[in-house]
Amino acid sequence: MKKFLSGLSGLFVLAAESAHAAQEDGAISMVPAASALAEEVHFFHNGILLPIITVICLLVLALLLVVILRFNVKANPEPNRFSHNTLIEIIWTGVPILILLVIALPSFELLFKEDVTPDGKQVAARGDGQTVDFVFPNDFPESRMVARPDHLQVIVDDGATRTTLKHRRDFRVEGWGETNLVVSLNEPAPAGASVILRGGRSTQNVSSCPMAKRYIDSCEKEVVLAPTMTLKVNGYQWGWSYSYPDFGDFEYSSNMLPEEQTTPELYRFEVDNRVLVPVGETIRVTTTARDVIHSWAIPSFAIKIDAVPGRINETWFRAEQEDVYYGQCSEICGVKHSFMPIAVEVVSRPEFEAWVDSQRALAGLDPMFETDMMKLAQGPVAGAAAE
Amino acid sequence: MADAQAAHEAHDAHDHKPPFLVRWLFSTNHKDIGTLYLIFAIIAGIVGGTMSGLMRLELAEPGVTFLTTFMGQRDIDAASNFYNVLITYHGLIMIFFMVMPAMIGGFGNWFVPIMIGAPDMAFPRMNNISFWLYAASGIVITLSLFVPGYGSNTGFGGGWVMYPPLSSNTGSPGPAMDLVILSLHLAGASSILGSINFITTIFNMRAPGMTLHKMPLFAWSVLVTAFLLVLSLPVLAGAITMLLTDRNFGTSFFDASGGGDPLLYQHLFWFFGHPEVYILILPGFGIISHIVSTFSKKPIFGYLGMAYAMVAIGFVGFIVWAHHMYTVGLSVNMKAYFVAATMVIAVPTGIKIFSWIATMWGGSISFKTPMLWAMGFIFLFTVGGVTGVVLANSSIDHYLHDTYYVVAHFHYVLSLGAVFAIFAGWYYWFSKMTGKEYREWLGALHFWVMFVGVNLIFFPQHFLGLQGMPRRYIDYPELFAKWNYVSTVGYGITVLAVIIFAICMIDAFFIYRKKAVANPWGEGATTLEWTLPSPPPFHQFNELPRFDKGDAKAF
Repeated sequence: MKKFLSGLSGLFVLAAESAHAAQEDGAISMVPAASALAEEVHFFHNGILLPIITVICLLVLALLLVVILRFNVKANPEPNRFSHNTLIEIIWTGVPILILLVIALPSFELLFKEDVTPDGKQVAARGDGQTVDFVFPNDFPESRMVARPDHLQVIVDDGATRTTLKHRRDFRVEGWGETNLVVSLNEPAPAGASVILRGGRSTQNVSSCPMAKRYIDSCEKEVVLAPTMTLKVNGYQWGWSYSYPDFGDFEYSSNMLPEEQTTPELYRFEVDNRVLVPVGETIRVTTTARDVIHSWAIPSFAIKIDAVPGRINETWFRAEQEDVYYGQCSEICGVKHSFMPIAVEVVSRPEFEAWVDSQRALAGLDPMFETDMMKLAQGPVAGAAAE
Repeated sequence: MADAQAAHEAHDAHDHKPPFLVRWLFSTNHKDIGTLYLIFAIIAGIVGGTMSGLMRLELAEPGVTFLTTFMGQRDIDAASNFYNVLITYHGLIMIFFMVMPAMIGGFGNWFVPIMIGAPDMAFPRMNNISFWLYAASGIVITLSLFVPGYGSNTGFGGGWVMYPPLSSNTGSPGPAMDLVILSLHLAGASSILGSINFITTIFNMRAPGMTLHKMPLFAWSVLVTAFLLVLSLPVLAGAITMLLTDRNFGTSFFDASGGGDPLLYQHLFWFFGHPEVYILILPGFGIISHIVSTFSKKPIFGYLGMAYAMVAIGFVGFIVWAHHMYTVGLSVNMKAYFVAATMVIAVPTGIKIFSWIATMWGGSISFKTPMLWAMGFIFLFTVGGVTGVVLANSSIDHYLHDTYYVVAHFHYVLSLGAVFAIFAGWYYWFSKMTGKEYREWLGALHFWVMFVGVNLIFFPQHFLGLQGMPRRYIDYPELFAKWNYVSTVGYGITVLAVIIFAICMIDAFFIYRKKAVANPWGEGATTLEWTLPSPPPFHQFNELPRFDKGDAKAF
């Protein structure tokens, strides 16, 4: 039975993944995931919920077919008169409770991952070929302290390769749950290499984790770092205005592009001014609205958060790849509700910084980032530097 | 029971009906009022169904094309506003003016007194005012369609949930919204009066010896429904009254700029709104139980479990409301609570589904038209139920909220659930209510065409939701074209089914004209209505049936 079930869910995963290849007309599954968190949402739907509900529907259908075939007036002219069976009643009360528990446990875990904005922290040090002890300041609030091996990642980056070390095999830790965590490497870090310590309770499965591993919860976990920037979203009838408080609070509005200025595929998705965010970094999104309630949604990141006048709501995402992701207003807001899409362009850190400086220039502010070639060449590590 | 029937035939001579106007305008007879409610529901169903046709025709392909033409070459904004008006009134009409009057006002009034062996409702005059308040409410909401809502556009277009600020002066300054509020006040008052009537009738007027645990399940379902109405409708009334004063008298309950909170409205609305969806489906549960038992020629399996499952669903229905609000910015602990509470509902619902199947198990089933609808109901309600379990998970609802997945879910439980239950009840009791028979094959044809049609409309909407298409959109990107087209084709088939239904009815009344017997369903039909002639006499049970001897049961 177990084999049958896992085979069945395998089928779903296959169907889901083949349909994911590209988001196209006539698809029957979710928009391809663009963040590790969205992948967990996909697994929860495609790997857990969809198989369970399909089996339940097929079971009910099968029972109905049996009833139709065996207990129709021709096949069974003399009806039984029974009207009770305590055992079966206990079974069909108890088994659904167990099924709901199977659903609820991953559901809660995922919900807390989605709703608690990550607070992970990273410190980096240079190896000198001798030092083995590195200190991670565990200065989180009591309930968020690094207290278990899966709250901590140790990465050694020698400029060419990044190696994630394994607890016990490669390093030991003193002081779980205390103010200073001492990480002792079994072998000293090579001279010139960076030793990166990432700690925090916001962890998620790495995005490359295959479906089968997710079932037995043996995915490699990664600590999600705290947001590097906040995106302020303000909804209005009928468009969005965005501002970047960490970069001088410049603000611009974003409206749907008319039909003649875009392609047929992107019409009603594309906007004049997209949101730009850096790739691989945690972005905090806060939403509010000026007039009526709107809702800011990006299916690729599996997020949707209402923009309510007088309130500020918060969510977060971390895009894995550079691309443009689209969403649409998801709370009825009046006449042009269908025509206030959302477009998020995920770019590299240097591109993002250049864009920020251009926006700051438009707002009459001085540039914030140097855009010399050194910086551009440095690439992704810049994300950590901004921390 | 045979003596009761004989008693009635003897009293037929005293069956003095009042003259036409007195009978129908000043009616205090529960069966006549039930008939009025059913006629009201049919008219509302035609209006609401036509509105969904306009919506589906507009959505057949991307681009705003149909409604602009339909409205006489108006611009896209006017068409968009009209589309919003359509979705709003389709929801309000189908919920408040079609399903509720059909199930509670119509079948409830007709059969609750008969099933419990009562001559009439406890408060016949209050029953009359309940109906006419409903009629007034229907007239007022129709009027609101023709007065300005937003700018010069007529009608209110903010969705049936009427969230402020879209429904306050910010989003809908015109008088249309005020008329909608008045209409809902009237409908609410009507339903509260009707519910008090049902509760009193069921508690006090059961036949001698009919304890609550011997009472037919349809009466149980209406009893639970009546309690839900009495407890939830005052909250809606409060919320829309606050909205009314926000709009007209300068208060700011829901206005953030005056210190209010738009989310307060949503909490109040869904505290009513979630019980409301059980109000729509519970009487259907009762109807289906009787039909399944009748045509399987077996008593209900697990009668007490069935009755208390409804009570449990009703109770839990009051403590799950914020699962409609997962994206509004609730705290994570609150969401976790509502996830857990919501999933609990699956347990009593599962008990009902499996008990229906167990009732059929070992039976000797004849697949007459009502039974087809009932079996269709069981399967489709299961499909709608399991997608409800999916949506109960806040973690996945952040993706699916306000997409077509939600539209598909609630149409599976309401359009394919509640409406199938209404058709099941209609065909089951048609001969009892009218004294005429319909042609069996026409009823069966209606079922099969409708089954294909509604599934074709709503199943692809799951795919649209998974693809991320938001609901309440007049226009959509090319990406969503295919399934929208399929859905519109399904609507066409459903219209065909409704035409078959109309033919079936016209045929039954004017062509076939076969006189119905007291009990056309045979030994399986054990409830009291089948002891009366078809149609029942104007006043029934001049001599009350008794259940206090032996182990006589009324189900």
